[in-house]
Amino acid sequence: MSKKGTSSFILQRASAVVLAPLSIWFLFEIVSALTADYAAARAWLSAPLNAALLGGFFIIGALHMRIGLAEIIVDYVHSWAKDVLLFINWLAALGLIAVAGWSIYTISFAG
Amino acid sequence: MADGAASKRPLSPHLQIWRFTVTLAASITHRGTGVVLYGGLLLMALWVIGLALSPELFAVVSAIIHSPLGFILIVGFVWSLLFHLMNGLRHLYWDYGRGFAMKTATMTAWLVYIAATLATALIIWAGYGGGA
Repeated sequence: MSKKGTSSFILQRASAVVLAPLSIWFLFEIVSALTADYAAARAWLSAPLNAALLGGFFIIGALHMRIGLAEIIVDYVHSWAKDVLLFINWLAALGLIAVAGWSIYTISFAG
Repeated sequence: MADGAASKRPLSPHLQIWRFTVTLAASITHRGTGVVLYGGLLLMALWVIGLALSPELFAVVSAIIHSPLGFILIVGFVWSLLFHLMNGLRHLYWDYGRGFAMKTATMTAWLVYIAATLATALIIWAGYGGGA
């Protein structure tokens, strides 16, 4: 995070502004989507609008959560473990983007 | 210290000397809910992987979702998302240099806790067919 303070600050706010409406949409959908059976869940995520919005929620959420947790790590961890945790934090965010992106693409556009 | 003596000046933040305020609680809760949402997004990634890969894998994820643990996770995620969203709006407002007056900050902190809880109840009630 060193020397990246300003860009992180801006990305954190910009992603928050995009995540706010996406979150409101997701809150309307979350229970029925998550409790649906296989066929209904596939049908829901096959709709291009749902795929785009959920994909956006995951990808922008991953960027936002990485910055937030990095802030917490830097605040509380001052040993060598700090860099390890920051690295794992990056991996988790990138992994989330890759996995969610691939899954949603497979279901809604290639399925 | 120029003379090498250990500083006797007080350190900030104090670990023992502080007074509980709702604004303090909201600040801590903002971080806590952020961590919950982090974990929740990772768990939800399992849901989309299962949905993409096979009905058998999806059945495993779905069984957890429909268990009491799954219900607690969904309620926790919904409350955390609502709290983090609404308290995040307080933060964005502060970024414009507004809303810092003690009365305002205290009132909006209470408001976020109450609104997040009421909206969670409504979403869970409606989502599980309470209105149907």
